Amino acid sequence: MARKNKISRRRLVHTIFVYLCLTLLAFFTVIPFVWTLSTSLKGPNETLYSFPPKFIPQNPTLNSYKVVWTTLPIPRYFFNSVILAIFQVSLPVILCSLAAFPLARMNFKGKNFVFMVIMATMMIPGDITMIPIYIILTKLGLLGSRLGVILPSAAGAFGIFLMRQAFMGIPKEIEDSAFIDGTNTWQMWRYIMFPMVKPNIATFSILRFINSWNAFLWPLLVFTDPKMYPLTVGLYNLRGAFVTNTRLVAAGTIIALIPIMVIFVVFQRYFIQGAYSSAVKG
Amino acid sequence: MYRPSHAWLFMAPALIIMLAFSIIPSFMALGLSFTDYNVFQKAQWVGLDNYRTILRTGEFWNVLRNTLSYWLLVTPVLVTVPVFVAALVNREMPGIKFYRLLFYFPVLVSVVITALIWGWMFQSNGILNYLLGLIGLGPVRWLTRRTTVLPSLALVTIWQGLGYYMLFYLAGMQSISLDVYEAAELDGATNWKKHIYITFPLLRPVIFFTTVISTMAALKEFTLMMTMTGGGPIGASKTVVYLVFEEAFENLEMGYASAISFLLFAVILVLTIINKTTLDKEQE
Repeated sequence: MARKNKISRRRLVHTIFVYLCLTLLAFFTVIPFVWTLSTSLKGPNETLYSFPPKFIPQNPTLNSYKVVWTTLPIPRYFFNSVILAIFQVSLPVILCSLAAFPLARMNFKGKNFVFMVIMATMMIPGDITMIPIYIILTKLGLLGSRLGVILPSAAGAFGIFLMRQAFMGIPKEIEDSAFIDGTNTWQMWRYIMFPMVKPNIATFSILRFINSWNAFLWPLLVFTDPKMYPLTVGLYNLRGAFVTNTRLVAAGTIIALIPIMVIFVVFQRYFIQGAYSSAVKG
Repeated sequence: MYRPSHAWLFMAPALIIMLAFSIIPSFMALGLSFTDYNVFQKAQWVGLDNYRTILRTGEFWNVLRNTLSYWLLVTPVLVTVPVFVAALVNREMPGIKFYRLLFYFPVLVSVVITALIWGWMFQSNGILNYLLGLIGLGPVRWLTRRTTVLPSLALVTIWQGLGYYMLFYLAGMQSISLDVYEAAELDGATNWKKHIYITFPLLRPVIFFTTVISTMAALKEFTLMMTMTGGGPIGASKTVVYLVFEEAFENLEMGYASAISFLLFAVILVLTIINKTTLDKEQE
């Protein structure tokens, strides 16, 4: 009896210890966000850097959000981010799943070679191609336009690889019976193959959305007109303009974070899957 | 049955994009590195001049030293600490899923936002200095001193990468068969012993993988420096790719910049080979 008590007490201590470690770590990951949120809610008369720091504002107010949304071009940047995201998700999804279809289901001369070349492009470091891509965009007259940001990432080896894996998992019988019904190649892709890989498309779309929403370098390089800036570049640029008003920058930051947070909470399952499949990418 | 011509039709759009923005640029970059080119004038062939100049000027060695220091600050932590985090969340407990999500979230935050929110953490009268003050230390001028700027940036990278690498280890741990643990338990192994003798050795391939990807990421980092410190103070946090960016897009020295990026590529290649051979040797 005494021994059993001892074991269960040790178990309890162990559990408490694990929760303590988890909570300490959670503080480390969360404090920067909580601080930003708290700053954005503080009124103009409340000091930001008091000792000790105050996480809960005295008189929480949404004033900073109102000011940011009405007097700064934040809605404009938000709109630009959304437009870019729409294309940076849909184009790669369509182009990659088009290209992956023959690689997964057809036999043709040069198939292995093409696939090898596609996979080899994964090894090319982005910092080396940065300059030539910029030059190519200049020559194509795409600097300053949304296409200049969208086109370079409209198809890639990772997406083709992911979609090829998905198509390869479809049983041959489905394909055969569709052929007997007289389905042509386009219909096969559009009405049979594409709808069957929806979960993979969801995973890929989410990865692409995060990439697009967070993209900084290419929008910065391509856009010359501040009216075209997405939120990332816009915030980076505005920061200098109102260093004096940290509350506004904090409110802008939270506005930029909200879509990511919502999507993360709603689609958590796909994130974990996406993270695992990007392990293949290396 | 499918016609072969259809195959090419389906692949054409993606192949054109990849040809234009991936394959052609990589050959172009190599060619550029032997030229003098500024977008406005025709490229001038200069042979190995760019490489010679780079190796002779102090600037390159300075940014290379910064980059390698940053790498040595970041990669050892991101390869080891997430193993413990993964071990911590790899159990059935109420609320454990919530903790996993929490640890992963920073991965999804853009560099601009990361720079902003950590900028506030690093303020002279900010939270970090307050915490240090509690134990009688500080205040530290995190981002404005030559000696503290790289460790501070490394801390931000570690904060952001923790959940990313945790997930790889978690996947690795969950693929280890439970039988192995049960057998160890029968032999009287404690929790700690199970980790040291089973979990860690079986995670070796994952550790190699995380070492490679965190090394590549660290050696190429520059947007964090750009958004947080602008490479300062006096170049103390300027990295190699930051220099590439500056030379290419601010000074329009595109050939010279390409040559720098190829030198970095060589460094990464050498480090990867060293990593691979030490791993192979250990396995013998």
